[in-house]
Amino acid sequence: METFAIGGPARRRCDGVSRRHLLRLGSAGLWGGLSGLALPGLLRAQEARLPGSPQPRAKNVIFIFLEGGPPQQDMWDPKPGAPAEIRGPFKPIQTSVPGTIFTEHCARSARIAHKFTVVRSHTHADNGHATGYHYVMTGRRAPFADGEYPVPTNEHFPSLGSIVARECGSAGTVPPYINLPHPMSAGGPGFYGPEHAPFVIEADPSQPDFEVKDLGRLAGLSEARLTRRRDLLERLEADRGALPLSGRSAAMATYYRKANDLITSPQARAAFRIQDEPEKLREEYGLTQIGQGALLGRRLVEAGCRFVGIDAPGWDVHFNCFPSLSTDLIPPADRAFAALIDDLDARGLLDETLVVMMGEMGRTPKVNAQAGRDHWSMAQCILFAGAGIRAGQVIGATDAQAAAPTRDPVSIADFRHTLLWLLGIDSRTEVNDPLGRPVSLSDGGVLIPGLIA
Amino acid sequence: MVSPMPTLIAQTSRWRRRRRAGLWVLSLLLAVGSAAPAADLTPHPAALFIDRPEGAEQIVILDAIDGHRVDRTREVSFEVADVHVARVSATGLVEPLADGATEVSARLGDRHVTIPLSVSGVANPAPVSFEQEVQAILTKHACNAGGCHGKAEGQNGFKLSLLGFDHAADHAAIVSQSRGRRINPSAPEASLLLLKATAAVPHGGGRKIDEGSPAHRRLLRWIAEGARADGPDDRPLVALLVEPAEVRLRPGESHQLRVSALDAAGGRHGVTRETDFISNAPGIVGASAAGVLQAGVIPGDAAILVRHLGHVATVRVVVPREGIAFVRPPEISAIDRLVHDRLAALGIPVAERCDDATFLRRSSLDTIGTLPTAAEAREFLADPSPDKREKLVERLLERPEYADFWTMKWADILRADKSKIGPQGAVALTRWLHRQFALNRPYDEFVRAILTADGPVGHESPAAVFKALDGAEVAARSLSQLFFGVRIECAQCHHHPSERWSQDDYAALAGFFTGVKLKVLPGGGEGVVSRGGVDLPHPRTGAVVPTAALGAVPASFDGPSADRRRLLADWATAPDNPFLARAIANRLWAHFFGRGLVEPIDDLRATNPATNEPLLDHLEARLKALRFDLRAFTRELLASRTYQLAATPAPGAEEDRRHYSHALPKALPAEVLLDAICQATGVRESFNGWPEGTRAVEVWDNRLPSYFLKVFGRPVRATVCECERGTEPSIAQALHLINSPEIEAKLGARHGTARRLAESALAPEAIVEELCLATLSRPPTAGELTALLPLFVAGGESITGGGDGDEVLVRRAAVEDVLWTFLNRTEFLGNH
Repeated sequence: METFAIGGPARRRCDGVSRRHLLRLGSAGLWGGLSGLALPGLLRAQEARLPGSPQPRAKNVIFIFLEGGPPQQDMWDPKPGAPAEIRGPFKPIQTSVPGTIFTEHCARSARIAHKFTVVRSHTHADNGHATGYHYVMTGRRAPFADGEYPVPTNEHFPSLGSIVARECGSAGTVPPYINLPHPMSAGGPGFYGPEHAPFVIEADPSQPDFEVKDLGRLAGLSEARLTRRRDLLERLEADRGALPLSGRSAAMATYYRKANDLITSPQARAAFRIQDEPEKLREEYGLTQIGQGALLGRRLVEAGCRFVGIDAPGWDVHFNCFPSLSTDLIPPADRAFAALIDDLDARGLLDETLVVMMGEMGRTPKVNAQAGRDHWSMAQCILFAGAGIRAGQVIGATDAQAAAPTRDPVSIADFRHTLLWLLGIDSRTEVNDPLGRPVSLSDGGVLIPGLIA
Repeated sequence: MVSPMPTLIAQTSRWRRRRRAGLWVLSLLLAVGSAAPAADLTPHPAALFIDRPEGAEQIVILDAIDGHRVDRTREVSFEVADVHVARVSATGLVEPLADGATEVSARLGDRHVTIPLSVSGVANPAPVSFEQEVQAILTKHACNAGGCHGKAEGQNGFKLSLLGFDHAADHAAIVSQSRGRRINPSAPEASLLLLKATAAVPHGGGRKIDEGSPAHRRLLRWIAEGARADGPDDRPLVALLVEPAEVRLRPGESHQLRVSALDAAGGRHGVTRETDFISNAPGIVGASAAGVLQAGVIPGDAAILVRHLGHVATVRVVVPREGIAFVRPPEISAIDRLVHDRLAALGIPVAERCDDATFLRRSSLDTIGTLPTAAEAREFLADPSPDKREKLVERLLERPEYADFWTMKWADILRADKSKIGPQGAVALTRWLHRQFALNRPYDEFVRAILTADGPVGHESPAAVFKALDGAEVAARSLSQLFFGVRIECAQCHHHPSERWSQDDYAALAGFFTGVKLKVLPGGGEGVVSRGGVDLPHPRTGAVVPTAALGAVPASFDGPSADRRRLLADWATAPDNPFLARAIANRLWAHFFGRGLVEPIDDLRATNPATNEPLLDHLEARLKALRFDLRAFTRELLASRTYQLAATPAPGAEEDRRHYSHALPKALPAEVLLDAICQATGVRESFNGWPEGTRAVEVWDNRLPSYFLKVFGRPVRATVCECERGTEPSIAQALHLINSPEIEAKLGARHGTARRLAESALAPEAIVEELCLATLSRPPTAGELTALLPLFVAGGESITGGGDGDEVLVRRAAVEDVLWTFLNRTEFLGNH
């Protein structure tokens, strides 16, 4: 393992390969991080701990986003003692961790509760979907009103996925940052620019005909002919005559290389081929979009992806929420999460893969007149697994109504700082925004108390 | 005698509306006298006056070397004659110690100059002004910055207005809130405000102010004087004077700025230390907190935003490339002259004129969004007439595709989104736009029609714009950005941090649209009516703000039920309107030249100056002289040599992206690229439910499912910003172009171009030429022929999959692969 020589005890970053080493290898590596921009966030000496203290262990992240706002009290923070209009109809169940209870529809994760940790005290003050999503992904309050479609400009703060991709680069043949089964609306690269945009798989991996668009073999074209075309294009482009390659055309040339790399790499194409998974394992994850998304996420981190963002929408349950929660929403998410943890564990990958499941908000303590729950960002749950975190805990707590944290409140900044720390990225690393102002990767934040072993 | 230093001019913008009458833009012309001969050091100012204990004056010592002005301030040694009266820092900042008169000397080798200094008001100072002196400290030390107490929710319970625009609220926050614990009148030095600022007690922001510093002393004195708010004796600031207003630096050189504040009574005092300096191009020229400009090694230009309290000014800095003798090429029009003036000042050489093929392709794609066909290219290239470029532009302006293309552009920014305004609204708006561009309706009339649109949303008219822009505030801020280039939306919540627009202006403008209603019509459908309206309250104070256009006096409407928007349209289209012509001139320039003179193209303000202000002035004047005839204006742009420059920069101009020394490559809109691919392959795209042969540019349905249009950045029409159209490339685009079944189907189609050529009797050379003309509008190069012709020879590997012996298949594969190669050239994917 390579280590940093600078600043105190050895530190690992992403996979222990130093930035400098990557640069030595040549930032030419197709999916390598970018060159010419800010150096990576070395964890500062003053945060270094005594020898034997915890070290960042995550090489990659599978981030499952329950878009719309999952109800904390109907899932991982039940309040069985509260009045019916607060506790809802779901029954509490015991988990594998004595004293920790979930609701009955989280039965699969309850069985492996010793393998992950629930933070029950995540709290922030943005009650909007678009804005809350932006807040979670970028660590900055949204510069637009909720409900506005965030246009793909380059002025916003980069999302977590883009930051991780930029800091770590791909460890294999697939892009370092991937979204599925559609773009995460707040998952863009912001002012990092398109180089750090997610590669988006816009297809549902639970469908039998799932494939990544334009990555398949073209029918009727021999391998020799494809090679001939690529060689011709490369040859002609190399001799560009008078036309300089700059700006957009340079970016396009980069993407052509990356696209060719994807097409020509059997490993990359194989990584997307979820159909190669045994039927039994696919069923274990659930034959749902979120289930197969999680399974594909595992395949992608195995192929070198650093940040898989899985967007699982549908959680904005304002009306008659309990039937859909108990059938369409909670069980598939519960199954996908539990299967992913078990699968990673069985493959020995859990120690280096961070799994996070969360939404942009929680839901109101009191069931509303339409038998739904409304927006409530004051109290939410985040599930953490893998990457050497201390599993089997509940961190933080909420009051009798699951309305507000009563201890260890965790902010967006804390969440962000912690996630980056687990990857060995210093959240105080400063980058310049489009106005030239230095801004740090996280707006403050401390490690979530007790999460790091 | 006039100083060798150019006259100092400062244009400042005033935010405060209450003092707006004639004051918010104030030009000052000051001649700074000096009796020194040219070889001597020249001090600025020639005499110093300081009238308060915490005042400070910045001295600037200039020298001239070979006619180039050099700032020696940080090289000379300063000395004060009477050290009891004042002291001077090594960087030339003079601070008072006691009342009296003395002089400051500056020495460099055997040369020296003296500056008389008069200090007053130290023994008996005038009371500290909260609005001018305390707020200046809170702003300079970033206490009220957006990241600290200036953010909307404040910080740790202490909230200040962003950059100190709200004196009353800030005064209350400091003096009264939190039970007054921030101020301790009986022991001023123990005030929490000071203890926090100096980090004597824990402060999340750390130590901001040193104990004993002028800022600390002034805050202390203000508290000791009773922490009062300003009264009638306090003289408001009216202008900011920045010296010099224009600077020319050599690479690596530095220059001190001097900033003075002028008050209503004509008083003037130095505020350099309490001013923020922000460079718009820090890589070219940096600006320190002390106001020292530092040129880097890269030649270029920068604008420095200079901000003190509510006032802003800009300083233009040029770092010319050295050793370039600018050769002025022939100038076809004033456009060329003004571009060359700027390039000459910067030392950037200008490119060659582009060849005919490039001009044909560029002007066709820019003007009508359509790729020239191979036949058109062949004909144009063969035409020997010297005025063929002008004639081509005439033809393009008359082509029906002209209206198709410009309709699409305006449908984007007028938000013709089917899901927002309904299919009837989208069709009606699109049809109306098409008619305007087909008839070449003058732009001022076009804008008037939109601003005052009413009637059924489903009838051919711009009424649907008011269904898309629902609500008075949305309409005001969207149309302001679109037509006037003023992004007033920042002023919804706070003073624009670098402009003159306030929350008053925001509410005043929105007042024009308060009478707009969307009504259900008796026969079904919806209609826009605008009758009467109300003046809107100030978003913060709740006081009613009279409706007024940007920077204009309050409007007086013809009775309570008049359509208020008519007065706005009158103002917008009046000959002396300062916004309308300038904004559209910049927008069109950006379209044809690849970059706005002002960027973003719809954010025009004094603090975001054009890269070439005289050129933008000229374009504005031309558009007015042409009575807003957009085609005539386009003709003038395209006739310039500047438009016809090659994309290849002259040696030494490679880094230029801002001054039009060569043509900038442009992205093709998704629809234009798709149409170009369809035209080159000879295979139309079929859009579900649309007639055969419909071009993508003509499709009004912005929600029509199309993977191609989506992945190449078709906008969702959710904003009035052109930036919504994605021009960024992506991996998905590359994958789609090189490896998609859709494009492959066009290449191999039985009725497509490739098959037609393969089955023709044409020789391979002729086929390659035809395909090159059809995609790149030029004949193939020798290198291309060398690379591509061997494809037509059977042999070697099994390319066709059907055996090498099949000559038909070999030829077919060769033609398809030649076309594939041209379609994937970066030259094809953009407009260069």
